[in-house]
Amino acid sequence: MKKIAVCYKWVLNDADIRINENTRALDMEKCKPQVNEYDRNGLETGVKLKEASGGAELVGITCGLNTESSTKDALSRGPDAVYYLDDAILESSDSATTSKVLAGMIRSLGDVDVVICSEGSSDQYAQQVGPRIAALLQYPSVSYVSAVSLDGDTLTLDRKLEDGAETVTVKAPVVISVSPDVCEAPIPSVKQILSAKKKPAAALTLAGIGLSADAVKPLAAINSVKAPQTSRKAINLSEGGASLDEAVGKLVKQLSTDGLL
Amino acid sequence: MSDIWVIAENLPWAATLIAGAASIKNDAKITAFVNGDEAAAGGAIAAGAAEAFYLPLPANAVWEGYAPALSEKARAEKPDLILLSASRRCRDVAAQLAATLDAPCFSEGKNITVSGDGVTVDTLLYGGLAIKNSVTSASTVLVTMGAKDFDPLPVDASRDGPVSALRLADNAIAVTGRKPRAAQTVDLAGALKVVGVGRGVSEEGDLGLARELAQAIGAEVGCTRPIAEFFKWMPEECYIGISGQQIKPQLYLALGVSGQAQHYFGIRDARTIVSINKDKESLMNANADYYIVADWKEAAQALLKAVKK
Repeated sequence: MKKIAVCYKWVLNDADIRINENTRALDMEKCKPQVNEYDRNGLETGVKLKEASGGAELVGITCGLNTESSTKDALSRGPDAVYYLDDAILESSDSATTSKVLAGMIRSLGDVDVVICSEGSSDQYAQQVGPRIAALLQYPSVSYVSAVSLDGDTLTLDRKLEDGAETVTVKAPVVISVSPDVCEAPIPSVKQILSAKKKPAAALTLAGIGLSADAVKPLAAINSVKAPQTSRKAINLSEGGASLDEAVGKLVKQLSTDGLL
Repeated sequence: MSDIWVIAENLPWAATLIAGAASIKNDAKITAFVNGDEAAAGGAIAAGAAEAFYLPLPANAVWEGYAPALSEKARAEKPDLILLSASRRCRDVAAQLAATLDAPCFSEGKNITVSGDGVTVDTLLYGGLAIKNSVTSASTVLVTMGAKDFDPLPVDASRDGPVSALRLADNAIAVTGRKPRAAQTVDLAGALKVVGVGRGVSEEGDLGLARELAQAIGAEVGCTRPIAEFFKWMPEECYIGISGQQIKPQLYLALGVSGQAQHYFGIRDARTIVSINKDKESLMNANADYYIVADWKEAAQALLKAVKK
């Protein structure tokens, strides 16, 4: 096994999204970019697979706007090198475009035996990129993977589906999409963060991987993005220095009035 | 728009999607592809499809192995719209099909309309925090859809239509074992009251207090994803969120739940949401009807005492 590639998305942290009450538009100003949480499990799966492979190179792959700034963070999570494609044209790219670019990057790297994606991204959660890359590269796709083991070039994978669990075996090359329960994603240590600075990060370009601007045009146009009206009252029962017993008393009274207790 | 395909994990879901297809375009020719046997395909005809194919789960191969045959057929017949069940196997097939057709695919799309501009679809962003409205003029459009988005049409057993099997191509993925899902021990989806525990619960032993409180108010206990999947303190069927259970209780009481978007997706249809979280600014407090800023254990004990009175 020569190369294992883990795809990751550089997404804005949705915990800091604020909603404009008048326009229902999303205010992303306070949101900092981060490695998509689901992909952290993908990167750790890559680390474990590299150990089991006895010598494969582990690379991280990403594309999108400002992805150059993602490389140190990604490298601290285990890859030997990161390849990124940073292009403003990909600012609001959908699963179709993202997977075309990632597949193009994987093809141009060559010798990639296992592609690891995660279940989805915290922003769109479309759950398409892994199987799309598989179809584009004509690799088999194994999705919703909850356990991975490697013997030579054969992977044994557990999948979790609605009606139960499935165990499959497949020979590399393959694209696997892992669920968060595949392994825990440890927080990088200081040593890992420092050593990330010495690891290589290389920029690829659309032209370099043989894609024209036309080829990455979105297949759908976005009319609007809006937060739906919510009817939640968000009443703070601890307001005005109410003691815990007072707050609980107010809650019990309210829920009793509403017929919920 | 004249040809709509429906690809589904099971017959009930197929019937839902067939009703959806008919409501999007009432004179569309609907072709159904259903996981199951010949009877399932017959059921799809009775549910309103003009033609139906059955795709039985292969003993030693993955169901997604039908993707190449579906791609080939779609390339030849060029359906305008393909609706798929948003189940795990069908999501994988949807993405593979979309890639080979170079087509857009909307995950868990809602409010699909067809006009001169093309197909317009709503999808969720950030676990339901926002709705994205998109339009596409692509020649084939794929949408995965929920199991209950439409009420099935009345079953008409007298309807007639061709039924056949779809062939399964050789597949590189071998299935070596299957384990059916363990029987569910809780019915969160149908519960009137649910107590939810999050990462504010720092020890497994503290779940006892949450259970005691739940019992006192007649609620089931659910949890956030990390509690089930990372800590494994509760069975996976108890996890509430975008890829877990979606519940509609009259009361959801969140104990130490941070309220990340993916969890909120699973509880947004609750009638009343109460949050107990010591972080005043937590998303769960902001998205609750009532909240108490307190350590969840102290508050749960006080609540338990008050309820028992």
